[in-house]
Amino acid sequence: MLTLTVAMGACTKDFQTINVNPNAPSSVPLPFLLGQVQLMIDGSSPDPGYKTWRGNLIYSGPMVQQLASTNSYYVGDKYVYSTENCGAYFADSYSNSVKNLVNLIALAKTDPANVNILSMARILKVFQMHIITDMYGDAPYSEAGLGYLNQTFAPKYDLQKDIYADMLKELDEAGKALSASATTPASADFSFGGDVTKWKKFANSLMLRLAMRMQKVDAASAQTWAKKAVDGGLMTSNDDTYTIKHSDGPTYSINSNSYNLSIFSSGGRNILNEDAVLWSKTLIDMMKARKDPRVNVIAAIAGGDKTPSKQKGLPNGYDNTTGTPYSLATVGDANLKNYSRPAPIMVNADDPNIFLTYAETRFLLAEAIERGWATGSAKDEYAKGQAAALSQLVLYDPTAAITNTADYVAANPYPGGSLDDKLAQIHNEMFILTATTLNFYEGWANWRRTGLPKLTPVNYPGNSSGGQIPRRLLYPPSEAAVNPNYAIANDRQGGDSFISRVWWDKQ
Amino acid sequence: MKKNLLYFKILLLSLLTTLSFAQSVDVRGRVTGEGGTPIYGANVVVKGSRQGAVTDEKGDYRIQVPKGSILTVSFIGYVAKDVPIGNNSTLNVSLSPQSSVLDEVVVTALGIRKERKSLGYSTTEIKGEDLTQARSVNVANSLVGKVAGLNITGTATGPSGSSRITIRGNGSIGGNNQPLIVVDGIPINNDNLGSVGMWGGSDKGDGISSLNPDEIETMNVLKGATAAALYGSRASNGAILVTTKGGKVGRGIGVEVNSNFVAEDLLIKRFKDYQYDYGAGNNGQKPTTVLEATTTNSWGGKLDGTSVMQYDGVARPYVAQRDNLINFYKTGNTFTNSIAISGASEKVTYRLSMNNLDNHGIVPGNTLHRNNFALNTNATLGPKLTVVANVKYITEKNHNRPRLSDSPGNANYTLFTMPTSLPISTMQDNIFDSRGYEKVWSENIYVQNAYFATNQYKQDDQKNRVIAAIEPTYTVTPWLSLMARLGFDNYAYRNTEITPTGTAYQLNGGYNNNLRNFTESNYSLNATIKHSITNDIGFSLLMGGNLMKQVNKLDNYSGSGFNIPFFYDISNISPASRSVSYNYIEKRINSVYASADLSYKNFLYVNLGGRNDWFSTLAAGKNSIFYPSVGASFVLTEAFKLPAAISFAKLRGSWAQAGGDTDPYNLSLYYGLTGSHLGQPLAQINGSQVPNSNLQPLTSTTSELGLEARLFNNRMGIDFAVYNRKTTNDIVAASISGTSGFSSALFNVGQISNNGIELLLNYDIVKARDFSWNASFNFAYNKNQVISLYGDLQNLQVGDPARSQSSYVFQQIGQPFSLIKGFAYKRDATGNVIYDAQGYPLKSDLVSYGTGVSPITLGFNNSFRYKGIGLSFLIDGKFGGHIYSGTNALAYRYGLHAETLPGRETGIVGKGVNEKGEPNAVNVPAQQYYQYLYNFAEPFVYSSDFLKLRQVIIDYTIPARLLNKMPFKAASISIVGRNLAILMKHTPNIDPESTYNNTNAQGLEFAGAPPTRSMGINLNLKF
Repeated sequence: MLTLTVAMGACTKDFQTINVNPNAPSSVPLPFLLGQVQLMIDGSSPDPGYKTWRGNLIYSGPMVQQLASTNSYYVGDKYVYSTENCGAYFADSYSNSVKNLVNLIALAKTDPANVNILSMARILKVFQMHIITDMYGDAPYSEAGLGYLNQTFAPKYDLQKDIYADMLKELDEAGKALSASATTPASADFSFGGDVTKWKKFANSLMLRLAMRMQKVDAASAQTWAKKAVDGGLMTSNDDTYTIKHSDGPTYSINSNSYNLSIFSSGGRNILNEDAVLWSKTLIDMMKARKDPRVNVIAAIAGGDKTPSKQKGLPNGYDNTTGTPYSLATVGDANLKNYSRPAPIMVNADDPNIFLTYAETRFLLAEAIERGWATGSAKDEYAKGQAAALSQLVLYDPTAAITNTADYVAANPYPGGSLDDKLAQIHNEMFILTATTLNFYEGWANWRRTGLPKLTPVNYPGNSSGGQIPRRLLYPPSEAAVNPNYAIANDRQGGDSFISRVWWDKQ
Repeated sequence: MKKNLLYFKILLLSLLTTLSFAQSVDVRGRVTGEGGTPIYGANVVVKGSRQGAVTDEKGDYRIQVPKGSILTVSFIGYVAKDVPIGNNSTLNVSLSPQSSVLDEVVVTALGIRKERKSLGYSTTEIKGEDLTQARSVNVANSLVGKVAGLNITGTATGPSGSSRITIRGNGSIGGNNQPLIVVDGIPINNDNLGSVGMWGGSDKGDGISSLNPDEIETMNVLKGATAAALYGSRASNGAILVTTKGGKVGRGIGVEVNSNFVAEDLLIKRFKDYQYDYGAGNNGQKPTTVLEATTTNSWGGKLDGTSVMQYDGVARPYVAQRDNLINFYKTGNTFTNSIAISGASEKVTYRLSMNNLDNHGIVPGNTLHRNNFALNTNATLGPKLTVVANVKYITEKNHNRPRLSDSPGNANYTLFTMPTSLPISTMQDNIFDSRGYEKVWSENIYVQNAYFATNQYKQDDQKNRVIAAIEPTYTVTPWLSLMARLGFDNYAYRNTEITPTGTAYQLNGGYNNNLRNFTESNYSLNATIKHSITNDIGFSLLMGGNLMKQVNKLDNYSGSGFNIPFFYDISNISPASRSVSYNYIEKRINSVYASADLSYKNFLYVNLGGRNDWFSTLAAGKNSIFYPSVGASFVLTEAFKLPAAISFAKLRGSWAQAGGDTDPYNLSLYYGLTGSHLGQPLAQINGSQVPNSNLQPLTSTTSELGLEARLFNNRMGIDFAVYNRKTTNDIVAASISGTSGFSSALFNVGQISNNGIELLLNYDIVKARDFSWNASFNFAYNKNQVISLYGDLQNLQVGDPARSQSSYVFQQIGQPFSLIKGFAYKRDATGNVIYDAQGYPLKSDLVSYGTGVSPITLGFNNSFRYKGIGLSFLIDGKFGGHIYSGTNALAYRYGLHAETLPGRETGIVGKGVNEKGEPNAVNVPAQQYYQYLYNFAEPFVYSSDFLKLRQVIIDYTIPARLLNKMPFKAASISIVGRNLAILMKHTPNIDPESTYNNTNAQGLEFAGAPPTRSMGINLNLKF
């Protein structure tokens, strides 16, 4: 017996090597991780199109009347709560991008030689987190993604105020830490190819976006940070625009543009024949009224016809039934094929996701100048923004090049008069800009801060917001089951509801 | 059906012509007991058949038997005797009274046969014939209601799915809770090869489901660690020992043929609690256009018989369609044929059997074919060496297993949710559009046309399995023997699933292929010493060791987008859209064990045992654990003079520990290489579970006390047990907040306890010459409680939530296992429901609704026998459990539930108060109101109590005299019914036994294969 016991004990020596997974490495080069997190941020991989479809196309776009849909999946059109879709952006982001960013930052910190990859990861984390907190309000931040590193299994929900403060600090520090003399992970940088200067400009431009977001709730900080952003150096041309680039392969479900993945779903569904994702009447009418040449680029009716005169937007808040006040037939044309939808050139597999444009920095700068937070000519910045917003569409396709920007600038001049008049024009431009870059997240957030353009909410029967445009999305209900901090955050924010407001969204 | 009968006739005919008539002889004699008193009513049966006679008042019998038969003579209270007839025509038999009934020998852990009376723990033996007459495709389901303390839950997966077996409750919060399945000494893998979660899928069956009931001689249920202590960690939840039939010495060549045909149809033919007043549509409107008719909703107008548009553009009468289920589902059938040849020479016994099972499910297109081959041999190779060798080969093919839970490709979902006014025939006539693609029938493209789902989706799996063992025994000296056992369980499994071209949500289709090759090898060596110390004190000792190695090789290749439409092969998918993965998973356990038995006279028996396991899956220094066990049995009737009414009584008690480990590779973080983008290779953290390098083995400690008694001349039997089982340091993958980056974390968590009682009563109510009536009743109650968790954690969520995300399964301190929690209506202090400004009820915090596992199980069986005719019926029930019904929640969402009728015309003003405490006055349209209730658990959690008429068997044994002219030694025929009726339930529309998986998150139901009842006929012939 004793010999047997000893023999068995001895046999266990190789147990530690047996229990090493032969099919997955224990460590990988940091650029591998940096590459993957960018695709997680934009929603291309690992769950192709999942969060983009739900967060951007189902909710943000239709709610803010940039998109419209009669399809019952696109509940944002009618402010209806959907368990499956409402918390999806939140859930997917934490379990993919935030998790891997937190880990990458921890790994990169251990060696000063990694300063650039570390700084990029910090900036990317801010970029990811600002979309989350703008959509949902208070959110796990300081303790998020630390399940493995710190054994934090139920992260607290930080106040949005605190999240903003830290995000701004991070942008400042990371932007400054970026060093042209240190190694840059060029091939893993799908935005700027390792160009450290462009990363600095991106950090400052994002800082400006965040600063302006605080305009209503904390004007003093907004001013401080806006100034810091401008002083640090914003984007200076369309070449600096922050996009995540894509390619048509080698693996469709990894490399493709996430809107392509959302809309085309495994390459099978052709947006031209699907009638679910349509441009909103609000948007198309506004663009037509402004003689915006971008209509010719971004819109097509079913079958691909881009003839400008045929383009029309779908009114929000209607369905396919007849005989009710909410039937599309009551406003005329019930044939969805006749309505405009995003043109295929915007959502090809190799199109970039456009997230923060040079044009946006011009518009925000114009506002900052008007508020006295920056110096310069608001009028000039506004015009630069207009021109850039038109010419940048070449990012999608060479055929989308709009060379004549002057006519549009001339037709929509910077107004004199009151600040309100000026802001109205600036944010009309922001509205069109975010829509024409499919950046509905930002379209909705910017509208919530400014209330511009003025939108008429729909009031579909049984909607979940009492007929007002939702001010935030609801957390995934699973958080109630696994995180006691969820209840604390809800109580603080006045309930998990479409009409409770996030911190910066002051009435 | 006709075709099957034809085959059967051919089979019979061929057997008749190829087998010569056996010669039979007339034997008569007298059966006597103590002092030569005749025994009236003794059974005289030809061994291995049902052919037999009963003695008369004088104890005389007469029987026609084939030459060379053995007669088994038995009478309650006496030791049964096997007597070869030889050349005798007169055969008197004297029986000796059973000093204990319990000279009975039973199979215990490691296959060791022990006298039942010596056991300090509880085991139950089920005879093979109890599994073969009223059979289930998955043999585990035939055990339902038959063993006290055994809780078997079939899943709503049709015949080929898995079952969940637990003995004496659930000991682990998140780990394995099922017993070890051992076949002829070889532990077999019982993994579920594909389970269903909130996003749907199909259940790919488990290991025990491949066994052939016709091969089974006995199944011994070792109830818990006390009985299974020698198996160590692997059987901390008990074990089920399956012993298959072998050849028997002195029997010559025998042939046994068994044919069984079972037809099954819907148990619930109509949804009784659906509404049939309003039809397809939205907002109370009848559809007028194709677009409006393209809907899953039954929120349309009042069904008035007018001509109304359907999704195919044809207007038809707007009337209720009550027969969609009947018109869609088929009558399923299972045809099982088996033949076995057994024989023996002086040195070798053997049994060769073949079995073919052919099943057509009720979901159109679903089939299962299974072939079982088995060869058991036992050879005496010398005076000291015997070798047992057996091999089983099983092939199993499944086509289009029923999908359940979420909608994609799930025809059941479609049937459960399609509009009241849409006839299934419209769907059948309009499967395809002009391109041959799925014709979209609803705005939710993820809900398939039911016929597209069953005909165009392809799922095929195949499993080829070999279970083999070689077991040489060498008797060194009369008191010392050595036994080695080499056992292998290997299967190759392949599952291919095709999402067809034209599927509404994936027009270009998809392909997924999984390969799994599993091998478990066990090498063990045992030494047994048997030596009586004095005349009164017996002693035996077993020492041994075992090496276990388990290897899983998993290959997956998948892709989406077929380049040539409708051609389904991986080569037809562009490399850019393919993905490939391979995983090699290995695990080992090394063990040593010893067990000593001491007996004093014939009334006191003591057993001491110990086992040490070393696990490869845990870190060095934390991977070894020792488990002791002790048991005793005290036979009162042997030790003391007790009143005559007590024929036998025994007290038993035992205590044992067992442990458990975790899966391989759970100790540290790994990265997954995911591909490349713009030339840059990509990687991410692998998996969504937080690894834990500090894991220790869990420990489960069980103690039990029991009483076994036979009263009134052995007419009444009682077996009572009380037990306590405590698991400490349980290894749990607990759900954690996704905001931590992970969805679960592995911990050693606190404690879970199980206390319970088991009672088995058996009574021969009538026992006369021509008529007998036996009733048996079993009852078990298990009180399960989570005592403590990790740190100050109060509860853990386990498994997927319900698809609606309104209900979750928790393990919570102070509560039983699998606690269902969900969102209720928020109420004020006086209980009024609170509504928001829009008129919708507010959600409460999560509320507990009770456990999803029924703590009370019972079974009540009655068997009657009149001459050669027998009738038995089994009623079983479970009590105290709960179930969240996703099907009923959907019925609210889609406007199908009868409870969605109030307020259709007027809208709903919810009864209660608003947030200011004033009476709620906001009117919400019915559609939006009821759809919103989908987000709550409160309306959809039900008690899962039930009573079912589980089985009825009528059998007839053809009397021997009628067999004279026939080639059989014995023939019997039986008519069987299973799951014939639900006698009591509280769940509207669904079967309370329809959870969709066998995981530890029990109590969730969602759009499964509908429950069925079956009727069949079984024919058994022996030559």
